[in-house]
Amino acid sequence: MIERTVTVRNALGLHARAAARFVHAAGVFQCRVTVARHDRGDRHVDGKSILGLLLLAAARGAAIRITADGADEAEALGALCRLVETGFGEEA
Amino acid sequence: MTRIAGLPVSPGVAWGPAALLLQRHPVMRYGIAEANVARELGRLDEARALSADQLRAIHAQVSQRAGADLANLFEAQLLMLEDNLLVPRARHIVQAERVNAEWALDRAFDEFCAVFADVGDAYLRERRGDVADVVGRLRRNLRPAGAGGMRMLADLASPAVLVADELAPSLAAQLDPALILGLAFETGSRTHHSAILARSLGIPAVAGALAVARQIKPGALVLVDGDAGEVVIDPPPDVIELARARRGRRAPAAAGRVPGPVTTADGTAVRFQANIERLEEIDAARAAGAEGIGLFRSEFLLGGRAIDAFDEEAQYRVYRDVVERMAPHPVTIRTFDLDELQASGRADGEADDDGRVRGSSLSHGPLGLRAIRLSLGHRDAFGAQLRALARARRHGAVRVLLPFVSSVGELREAKAALRAATCETAEAGRDAGAVPMGIMIEVPSAALTVDLLAADADFFSIGTNDLIQYCLAVDRADGRVAGLFDPLHPAILRVVRHVIRLARPRARPVALCGEMAADPGALVLLLGLGVTDFSMNPAAIPEARELVRQVSMAAARRAAARAVGLPTSGDIAALLASRFPALASWPAGRDGRPHMEG
Repeated sequence: MIERTVTVRNALGLHARAAARFVHAAGVFQCRVTVARHDRGDRHVDGKSILGLLLLAAARGAAIRITADGADEAEALGALCRLVETGFGEEA
Repeated sequence: MTRIAGLPVSPGVAWGPAALLLQRHPVMRYGIAEANVARELGRLDEARALSADQLRAIHAQVSQRAGADLANLFEAQLLMLEDNLLVPRARHIVQAERVNAEWALDRAFDEFCAVFADVGDAYLRERRGDVADVVGRLRRNLRPAGAGGMRMLADLASPAVLVADELAPSLAAQLDPALILGLAFETGSRTHHSAILARSLGIPAVAGALAVARQIKPGALVLVDGDAGEVVIDPPPDVIELARARRGRRAPAAAGRVPGPVTTADGTAVRFQANIERLEEIDAARAAGAEGIGLFRSEFLLGGRAIDAFDEEAQYRVYRDVVERMAPHPVTIRTFDLDELQASGRADGEADDDGRVRGSSLSHGPLGLRAIRLSLGHRDAFGAQLRALARARRHGAVRVLLPFVSSVGELREAKAALRAATCETAEAGRDAGAVPMGIMIEVPSAALTVDLLAADADFFSIGTNDLIQYCLAVDRADGRVAGLFDPLHPAILRVVRHVIRLARPRARPVALCGEMAADPGALVLLLGLGVTDFSMNPAAIPEARELVRQVSMAAARRAAARAVGLPTSGDIAALLASRFPALASWPAGRDGRPHMEG
């Protein structure tokens, strides 16, 4: 199991479409993915659940901790962190 | 525990788990039998599949028209549709708690919202709307065609208190008193048809309980106090114990009264007949001492179906049964009192998936195409009803009563139709005689022209429920103004006096068939104004008869003569209180206030 903390950069935060991209990206991998707010680490949500991600309410600037656990955890963590750090491909 | 005040519309007290029926926002929440769990799961799965198809179609359409960025929103919605927190969660709730699919879906959404509620970021908080969109789609796709309230009632696994935002009379008419312990609804008043039905079915009911349906959690214990006009959510054990003790005292109180003619203390004969909707009420009417049926509301035979759903033969059999079972007493049958929407058979307002009934052009409401106006426009259905009545005439004394007549022309047209129906059903050598035809006095124009109508009408029946509504311009279905519905308003007493004065010299009998006479104070005043023929709910008859025995006509006349000159209903109530102190402790007090029992 590996984990990393990244910062949400896009203007609108982890909103519906961004969360959808995250779920799609996570769905490619076999490993389990969970996400938690860095400042509120008690609530872990399923990284493959769009409603779970919405519940994180991660606005711009929020730090989130992504955890991957399984055979392809390294690739998964890399891809997901990239997605968040590049602002989900959105402008600004 | 939460207490919500309302209007006491049907006496008694009952408690049980709440079953919710929200018609304005079509949501139904109720427990289901174990055998129906698989069906509800199937409905959820079908709704999900259907919703997914729709979202994929929308996605394709939006990508083409507005580009991939916006279209992605619907991809997000598709993901929500497949999310474990939504449909699988709802499935789990159906299985674990045995509730209907709608309820389970709402619960799953509520759980999501509860967590989401404290999201600080406004933009993100608004994303709840996307989820609501998906849930709304699922909910719409869950709705099977033409189901609605009736399916819920048919599905109830165990007795419950029905809590509704509004309750269509056609639905109320089909309630099973063995399954529906009590009723609480947000709209309506004492004279709302559903309230009248609740009384006739002996189901305790409270109307006008504002926001009750939104405050109650389905399955929560709820107590309906139809005596005090109160709904108690989550009543503690001691409150239920008090109610149980009260109910125990009530049961024997109504029994043991002797039927037969009744006179006032000074010897004026007064007749009490019964208002009924269904054949099953005849035994209750007879037991209560009713000397006939003064108002048979024939539209309830339709049970919410279209105006032509109950044919001549079927109607004839019912009318004949009523006449034979009430013999030797007379029976007055009112022709269908329906509005256009009800006549179409879709008045439950739930027949369509997307509220088309509400948006339809069919008139729905008190001043539209209804009652006699509608019957005159549906000549086939009207003819069938009149023929059935003419045939029933051979079995005993039956009279036809026309609802909502507002002019002599309508009466003449109906009379011609009755003559035709009588000829068509005539049998050689079996002349049963003409069927008397009378009219309801419930529209002010009819009340003001009783002398003109008397040339064509054989009798009159004052329908106080509508007459008060139209004289005072109060929509009794609107809880916010229902309090203005005032039977003791001076205008009402004057209208009644006027009708009696115009009818008497023309030898046309006048009866009064509204709920007003169930109020003891109003009954005394009506006697004093010269009304000696009443028709009311069977349950109200024994106490009204007892009251008449104790009142002297001379005193009632003096009080009425004084009352018509008083400025407010408060003054009139005070007059009654001073002249008839016994009324204060009379069982069904004014406004149906609870009385001290035992």
